[in-house]
Amino acid sequence: MGQVSFHDEISKNNRNSALMAVLVFVVLVVLAYVIGLVYDPSIAFLFIMAGGAIAIFQILNAYYNGDKIVLSTTGAIPADEKKYMHLHNVVDGLAIAAGIPKPKVYVIDSTEMNAFATGRDPQHSSIAVTTGLLNTLNRSELEGVIGHEMSHIQNNDIRFAMFIAVLVGLIAIVSYIFLRSFRFGSGNDRKNGGAIFIIIGLVLAIVAPIIVRLIQLAISRQREYLADASGAALTRYPDGLASALEKIGKTNKGNMNVSEGVSHIFFVDPVYTFIDKITSTHPPIQDRVKRLRAM
Amino acid sequence: MAIEFFIGILIAVIIALVAVVVVYINRIVILGNRIDNSWSQIDVQLKKRADLVPNLVETVKGYAKHEKSVFEAVTNARSEWMKASTPREKAKAGNVLAGALKSVFAVAENYPQLKASENFQMLQEELSGIEGKIAYARQFYNDSILTYNNIVTTIPGMWFAALIGRTQKQSYLEIKETERQPVAVKF
Repeated sequence: MGQVSFHDEISKNNRNSALMAVLVFVVLVVLAYVIGLVYDPSIAFLFIMAGGAIAIFQILNAYYNGDKIVLSTTGAIPADEKKYMHLHNVVDGLAIAAGIPKPKVYVIDSTEMNAFATGRDPQHSSIAVTTGLLNTLNRSELEGVIGHEMSHIQNNDIRFAMFIAVLVGLIAIVSYIFLRSFRFGSGNDRKNGGAIFIIIGLVLAIVAPIIVRLIQLAISRQREYLADASGAALTRYPDGLASALEKIGKTNKGNMNVSEGVSHIFFVDPVYTFIDKITSTHPPIQDRVKRLRAM
Repeated sequence: MAIEFFIGILIAVIIALVAVVVVYINRIVILGNRIDNSWSQIDVQLKKRADLVPNLVETVKGYAKHEKSVFEAVTNARSEWMKASTPREKAKAGNVLAGALKSVFAVAENYPQLKASENFQMLQEELSGIEGKIAYARQFYNDSILTYNNIVTTIPGMWFAALIGRTQKQSYLEIKETERQPVAVKF
């Protein structure tokens, strides 16, 4: 049965998350070392230690608070038990079907139809859906979408996706700091430093988003198909999810108010940009529908 | 020299075998526990549903006093369920209760004021939520049994299962296709 590939998927995700943490650690320590060299080579080791401490702090922060960061940047608020009773019921039901604890439930006030799951493991997970999705889908369609998100949680896709989302933001902040330090840095002994900083800042500002985009691309497409399939295995009704996707394809305008850095965690691409035409983080909706209808 | 080498290999093989036995036996025990646990998931939902029945009857009575037979059927089904003790009996009584609840909602169709009442709509959502959860809990129960049966009936799992006397294949709960539909009646 699918059991084996299931466990493979979980350990692959856990390994990727660990690799990501190591990578961020190395990058931050190296950056700190470079800064140290520029300021005063004799105390560069202090910079390494400081860089390492900051890196560990950031990684732990991403691990333990990443879900809160993602939820607040997307404007998700906790879903009221009474007002959104049927959403709570659907989430609870699919958590039972997947054999995991019920995730926390959030809503995002948006006319666009979308959803996502985040968290560090199935015991600490959250599912957020937009009000547009809730207002448009019927119960079996909603179950299809929630089933998809539930299987992201079950496979521990959420941890890696959350890591990427949070660390993308971190890289943006670091490159901003470097560029700023160039702009306001003056004085003779910082001339060389200024040049190095601007190079690092520019490299980070230009290269990092591309690398992140590539990682997003590499992980996302396959993962969405997989979550569609295992989500349908949870609801035992692929047509529900297929019909939800069809409605979303017809209705969505791709103008959700979220940053590109978190776009890969969503059920469907929340923002249609020029670059999506060439390299979308999500597979085309028609393709997903076709696969589901064929099940 | 050669003998030491041989003994070394022997010890390594024994350690590996013991590890395999431990892993398999643990897995069989864990999967067995998961079946018990997933049964209690169903039980929790069945209980929640039974607890809602008096409330529902009261609400519907307020608008539809004359439908005595329906109320009796559902109240009886509930007390039958309360009496049931084994999982199989409970599942069966639960099915009867589900059927009785359906007729309550069918009756409600004839009373527009009842359908419009906020209390009734809440109950309806709550019950159809519970129906969904029961269906999913059963699905997970059957999935757990499938995984367990797969391991205790195939080689090499069956050998290790025999070691700890767990050869018994567990049987599935039947899920009727109609039960996958929520009790809610269309507005």
